[in-house]
Amino acid sequence: MPEFTLIVVLVIALALIFDFTNGFHDTANAMATPIATGAMRPKVAVAVAAVLNLVGAFLSTEVAKTISGGMIREGEGGILITPELIFAGLIGAIVWNLITWLRGLPSSSSHALFGGLIGATIIGVGFNAIDFGVVMAKVILPALIAPLIVGLVAFLSTRLAYAVTRREAGLPDGRGGFRFAQIFSSSLVALAHGTNDAQKTMGVITLTLIAGGYQVVGTGPVFWVVAACALAIAIGTYTGGWRIIQTMGRGLTEIKPAQGFAAETSTAATILASSHLGFALSTTQVASGSVIGSGLGRRGSTVRWGMAGHIALGWVLTLPAAGIMGAFAAGLALLGPIGIVLDVIIGSIVVAGIYWWSRGSRVSHENLLHDMDDAGRVVRITKTPRKPARRNRQKVAL
Amino acid sequence: MNWGAFLVVAAASLVSSALIVTMYSLGLRLMTTAGRSPEVGPAEFTGAITVLTPKRQAKDAKRTRKALAANPLTDGQKRLALVGAYACFSLCAVAVLYGVYLIVPALHGA
Repeated sequence: MPEFTLIVVLVIALALIFDFTNGFHDTANAMATPIATGAMRPKVAVAVAAVLNLVGAFLSTEVAKTISGGMIREGEGGILITPELIFAGLIGAIVWNLITWLRGLPSSSSHALFGGLIGATIIGVGFNAIDFGVVMAKVILPALIAPLIVGLVAFLSTRLAYAVTRREAGLPDGRGGFRFAQIFSSSLVALAHGTNDAQKTMGVITLTLIAGGYQVVGTGPVFWVVAACALAIAIGTYTGGWRIIQTMGRGLTEIKPAQGFAAETSTAATILASSHLGFALSTTQVASGSVIGSGLGRRGSTVRWGMAGHIALGWVLTLPAAGIMGAFAAGLALLGPIGIVLDVIIGSIVVAGIYWWSRGSRVSHENLLHDMDDAGRVVRITKTPRKPARRNRQKVAL
Repeated sequence: MNWGAFLVVAAASLVSSALIVTMYSLGLRLMTTAGRSPEVGPAEFTGAITVLTPKRQAKDAKRTRKALAANPLTDGQKRLALVGAYACFSLCAVAVLYGVYLIVPALHGA
């Protein structure tokens, strides 16, 4: 390992911290629904997700190789973006990830990362360094489209699941059996997440190493980078973003095994289809969209649109908010070493503050999903009356 | 933005998801038809799960036994239903393996 300058070390450390926040932010994508339906114990579920993320991170480095390409225009032959700017962008992304976690909002970690990097680049290099056409095509449009597609898919899948297993002549419907399938469908989502998300951090670290002249342009991530990123995301996943799991598992709609299975299958199908047929969709947005879709698909269940609105607002804000924080951090970082030190100090204070703030309302695997009953008072759950069974309806009509 | 790709993704996810969910549901349905309704209880009771009282559970179980006893199918038909159920589950297992194949680039040479 060559000797690194301090800024490169800082960037690598921050990138791994971001990877960690990415992990616990996204545990909910795969594991909120099986936890909510009791398909897996919360601790087991996050352990499975952590292992699959760890394994997934080692499987591929394709995304990491292309992370820098496109959105931020690289200079003629050389790379315009400096380690200082990557450092600032990462601070923006981490802070925004922690804020959304505190609020229990499932927001896209990739958008936070892109937002932070874009904000820092605008301050450091200027507006013309950003290819807004690519930002539109790669980030904004998919963000609008993903929840719609997957919502529809999950809605129809849920309808199908209920229609096929309709109770007949007093026979049990066997819908508890969906819990078994949920273990596999959610694991598939976790594995897909692992192959994608750890690579974003690998890409950032590799970009920094290339920019700092420690690595040849055009080469992929080296082994210690892959291993460190895999570990960081796995530990993050195991820590479990219980607040977000609570939002996804209980805050949007009440999930039953059939719905959970339909939602996860839709999530997995959409993510795999999108990553193989063209554009990448945000795992977080796909997973949230499918939970809402499955909530609409089961008769008698309600979707808490207030909560859905909060989440959507979080998505809209992610890119600009992380961008503004990244820009602010970049402004400081460009002052020179003193600015970097200030950045680190301010960043640490903010992170410590968020952690301190979170202590007041701790959510863990122990009180998870039970406290939502209290939250119901705030969220206002309107219970729709159950539709009478068909034969009873006929009796009433007669 | 390539709208064609977007439509293809929507169609592919819809078809594959609907197919897998239908297969698994059909498997569960056939299990029930075969008189072996799968009972998979929650690993842990969260607030999101309605807990039935023992009295209610016993009542449900009795009703289920009665309904199963009244099953008009012959043993052969039941066996056929069970084979069908396992066939459905196998197709789902294949779908999961195909998912893993798509996720792992080393397998499809991307």
